[in-house]
Amino acid sequence: MGFHRINLTINGELEQVDVPANMTLLELLRESLALTGTKNGCAAGECGACTVMINGEPVNSCLVLAVECAGAEIITVEGLARDSQLDAIQKAIIDAGGVQCGYCTPGILITSRALIDRNPHPSEADIREALVGNLCRCTGYVRIIEGIQEASRM
Amino acid sequence: MAFEGTSGGYNGWIFTNLASWFGLSYDLEEIPTTMNTLPRLPEFDYVRPETIAEASRFLAAHAGEARPFLGGTDLFVQMRDRVSKPKYLVDIKCLPGMNDISYDPSVGLTIGAAVNMNRVIAFPQVREHYQVLAEAAQSVASYQLRSRATIVGNICNASPAGDTIGACLLLDGVLNIHGQDGMRQEPLKDFFLGPRMAALRKGDIVTSIQLLAAPDGLTGKYLKLGRNRMSDLAIVGVTAIGYPDQSVASGYRMKIALASVAPTPLVVDRVETILGETSITEERLILAAQAAMEACKPIDDVRASARYRRYMVRNLSLRAMRAVWEGLQGRAA
Amino acid sequence: MGNRITQTEVPKPVGESKPRLDAREKVTGAAIFADDIQFGNALLHARILRSPHPHALITSIDTSQAEALPGVKAVVTGQDFPGYIGLYLLDRHIFCRDRVRYVGDPVAGVAAISEAIAEKALELIEVEYEVLEPVLDGEYGASPDSTVIHPALAEYKAASFILPQPGTNISNYFKIRKGDVEQAWGRCAAIVERKYRIPHIQHVPIETHVAIAQADETGKVTLWGNSQSPFAQRNLIAQALGISQSDMRVIAPYVGGGFGSKAGVSMESLAVAIATRVKGRPVKLVLTREEEFYTAFVRQGLIAYFKMGCSEDGRLVAMENRFYWDAGAYTEYGVNITRASGYSSSGPYEVPNVKTDSYCVYTNHPVGGPMRGFGMPEMHAGLEQCIDELALQIGMDPVEFRRINCLKDGSILVTGSQMHPTGLSQCLEKTAEAIAWGHKALPSAPNKRRGKGLALMWKAPAMPPNAGSSAWVELTEDGRVAVGVGGQDLGQGAFTVMAQLAAGALGVPYEWVKVSTPVDTRYSPYEWQTVASRLTWSMGNAVVNAARDARRQILDMTAEAWGEDPDKLDIIDGMVVSYSSEREVPLKDIVIYGLPKPDNRGWIGGPVIGRGKFMPDYVTGLDPETGQGERAVVHYTTGAQAVELEVDLDTGQIEIIRGAAAFDVGKAINPEMVKAQIEGGFVQGMSSALFECMQLKDGVMQNPSFVDYRIATSCDIPEGIKTMIVEVPQDDGPWGARGVGEHSMVPTVPAIANAIYDAIGIRFEGPPFTAEKVYLAMLEAGIIT
Repeated sequence: MGFHRINLTINGELEQVDVPANMTLLELLRESLALTGTKNGCAAGECGACTVMINGEPVNSCLVLAVECAGAEIITVEGLARDSQLDAIQKAIIDAGGVQCGYCTPGILITSRALIDRNPHPSEADIREALVGNLCRCTGYVRIIEGIQEASRM
Repeated sequence: MAFEGTSGGYNGWIFTNLASWFGLSYDLEEIPTTMNTLPRLPEFDYVRPETIAEASRFLAAHAGEARPFLGGTDLFVQMRDRVSKPKYLVDIKCLPGMNDISYDPSVGLTIGAAVNMNRVIAFPQVREHYQVLAEAAQSVASYQLRSRATIVGNICNASPAGDTIGACLLLDGVLNIHGQDGMRQEPLKDFFLGPRMAALRKGDIVTSIQLLAAPDGLTGKYLKLGRNRMSDLAIVGVTAIGYPDQSVASGYRMKIALASVAPTPLVVDRVETILGETSITEERLILAAQAAMEACKPIDDVRASARYRRYMVRNLSLRAMRAVWEGLQGRAA
Repeated sequence: MGNRITQTEVPKPVGESKPRLDAREKVTGAAIFADDIQFGNALLHARILRSPHPHALITSIDTSQAEALPGVKAVVTGQDFPGYIGLYLLDRHIFCRDRVRYVGDPVAGVAAISEAIAEKALELIEVEYEVLEPVLDGEYGASPDSTVIHPALAEYKAASFILPQPGTNISNYFKIRKGDVEQAWGRCAAIVERKYRIPHIQHVPIETHVAIAQADETGKVTLWGNSQSPFAQRNLIAQALGISQSDMRVIAPYVGGGFGSKAGVSMESLAVAIATRVKGRPVKLVLTREEEFYTAFVRQGLIAYFKMGCSEDGRLVAMENRFYWDAGAYTEYGVNITRASGYSSSGPYEVPNVKTDSYCVYTNHPVGGPMRGFGMPEMHAGLEQCIDELALQIGMDPVEFRRINCLKDGSILVTGSQMHPTGLSQCLEKTAEAIAWGHKALPSAPNKRRGKGLALMWKAPAMPPNAGSSAWVELTEDGRVAVGVGGQDLGQGAFTVMAQLAAGALGVPYEWVKVSTPVDTRYSPYEWQTVASRLTWSMGNAVVNAARDARRQILDMTAEAWGEDPDKLDIIDGMVVSYSSEREVPLKDIVIYGLPKPDNRGWIGGPVIGRGKFMPDYVTGLDPETGQGERAVVHYTTGAQAVELEVDLDTGQIEIIRGAAAFDVGKAINPEMVKAQIEGGFVQGMSSALFECMQLKDGVMQNPSFVDYRIATSCDIPEGIKTMIVEVPQDDGPWGARGVGEHSMVPTVPAIANAIYDAIGIRFEGPPFTAEKVYLAMLEAGIIT
């Protein structure tokens, strides 16, 4: 099986890595780059715990090959805060009480950030629909939705 | 689990399966055997050709061992489930023309194979002229999956549950295919041979799908029944379209395509006849819905029973056709 | 002894909705979960070969080819590990030895330098089976015709309150014989008799099970895992391997959702066992999502027979219950569900005559274990529907019926003991009002039917009578406070609550308090398990005791140094103050170095470490023949839920429009977190009502993936869930608190079932109330064509 050298930008930093063909972007982040904030919940594109942004769009990183990301700009949960200042969506979800076990949280934050970026004033229906690919078992989504609403008002 | 409604691998060769041909038995999707799912993707070689011709040659030369892929969301899950074990994955996303989406009133809508569903939904002319396609695409999975899923991939996957296939069929979609012998066009209506069986040959690469210029006054509706409110596969999917057509006795052409209730996506011609031969009334719509119910051939599976699916075909066809009819009336007024 | 505290003085921040102390690291991705821990290139990866048969003898295993594969460092089978393992009943080996009992039962384990090589090695292991007749139904399994799955049941060690029936598949049999049920039927004006079948479901934590184990060359073991129960895991695994508890260390980082699945021991013993064979290298085992669905713990299925009767004026007279728990291949944990459901089998009602037979039945199904509610959701699913039916039979409103019969202070319980003060009636009233009970709203469209339903619940923490908690509180030179605990935060907010309790009991700001994590059995104090919704109450008591111990030391040493009466001293916002002399000194100046003696000839005090413990001392047993006893449980948390929903006549789909829920938590230490628990439990309950079912066919789960095991998404939740907190203090809880984590999932299924009945007049044998089930039933009933 071949290895491929790729250059990509992750959270604003240029990385050059040699990746086996069958390595997913999720595995690259977690196992080669020590970016363990993004989580594996199902490895099948269903739960959204692995959601990252590729060129501004939220994607299930468990179903993207690392080699496909040559030249791409990736944002993970670790890239949301700037200089220790939390992003509005991070602050809002804490304030709303939308964090419990925290495992779905990184994926939810990326999905929410991308939503507000493309739709600055989402309705509740917009938010619910945008979140449908992020499963949460703890919160019942109530306070997550409230947090996103609050963040979109900030 | 083969997640349907996404881009992904498609066959480079024709299968034959007599039972499926006769609709005696079929599986909508591969149900995973419980023991076998791998924790990671198996090993393979990744190939990214520079030109379509190169890609086509590679696929032909390695027929049986090489699979082209677009978004991969369907393929990678199949590989983890050991359903598919290609030696080579051929990335065709960046080939010339694959990423373009364009509209020309004389030609219609051309969607490159690699254009993801979110882009299709957001394309202004899709919203304006092919709203039903946008509605169908919007129902697929989740925003994250739609960032990778493609219309062409959905088609080449040839799952009868494909959400966007119905709209493409009803709008007389045509596939542009680059094969070993060069370019050709394949009308969608002859493309589906059975569950996950598409009329593709060794070395074929679908480069785009073309939908004809939308008829004036086109109205459409896609209704999808899932086990929960959103993000599910279609247990039953109904695509309905209608448009004024003076060549038809009723003055309107109305058509229906069904997902998940036959070995292939199913266009129910009888519906078009019933709603074409005389004035459209609620009674005619009910008759048409009944015809749709009689035409479908659903199965029992882990998701739903055949019996339930049949009733849902009837009820949702009626709902969809009523919505289209109301839309047409609104316009006609 | 608990804290006999009155409500008179509740110090801040107790009762305040403080932000979670782990929120920031969770939103930045910094929070470490088990699979995030870095081990370097010493790490080996394990994969498990599992039985494809629900029931079979293992006739031979050949691992030689697997062992020879380059990159493989160890291959183990059950022959390597003879010990039994279990919490309440030792009925399980770490790896199967002579027999497999469910599809997924571990037969062999491999450790290799990569997951891919380990997986390949599994394919090289040859196992021959002699297939046996499986038992695939709980009621059938209890009959003498069924194949005996555990022939050696008579020899298994069991906790004293577990009563296995040797020679059968019944691993526990719990009885209630209260009053005289046979005589009582004659006095009933109405009787309802029903059978309910509750399917298996799974916890579906978003994080699957992960365990990393390392054994040094002397055999001492370290286990890292997303464990709810580090100390129980240490205890059970050490015993099974024949090592001493002190020679095993368990380190438990954050848990990405537990709901009971990560309690007790399931797959962790596999990682430890394999690790003992690889000379010092850590071995990681991760369950795939598919494996998570059926190879660790699941919630067992239930076949329940209810018969209940009431008098003309709506008083419950008699109940007769039979529960067949389809408990799966091993019931080492699940046996206690049989008991807990037995001693709760009246539901939250006063019933003078009760006869209950609750059976824990071995089947060749996945292993039933603790899941949120521990038998209560399964039992209430049918019981609360029967209550509605009984009420309607005598023409009484179901809320009124519950008003009359629900438990009140002093009610005699099904076990013969007395009910403590409870806010159940208040919960009922608030919930009924919140859902506008009695007012029928119009359906939103001609093809919809609307209905409302309500249900009550109760649950006691199910645990041994001597389950204990301990805690320490340590102060540092910067005035900050470290709290040591052995319980875990699964997302419910335990660490935050403990910090609030410590801050309140000590007299320091909440922001100064940290909980020492990860829980590490080498340094953390003992905690039985993070289950049973017991931490706020039990571990909370221990933390408060520890904080008060620290406070006592501080005040005593200061009093001595100042020559004052310690009762006139206080700690306020981290400052020791004297009410008499008005002297003050910040904590940070004295908690390590002490204070100088009054005459400056030496020093008093020294490093302050407070310690505390809590273990209930009043739990009596229950008579094995009658289930009667003085005090079987520590307390009950009670509550109510109601829903308003619509049924779509064209599709059978159910839309939950709104929910209302009230629970008596004694004292809400952090009210917003309590509400968050109520919301989360409501949605998990709703999900189990509408979507969830492990489809088991011939012992094989047909839907082990998110594609076909549907759980609630953001689009499925109602417009609003009104959550209400009732506070009738728990006499021995910290400032009156008792637990609520599980309870909010318990009444949801019957509330929805009762609402469906209100809407379309149909009941079902059990959840999930899928659109298909509802539609076909309406067709059958002639409501639609």
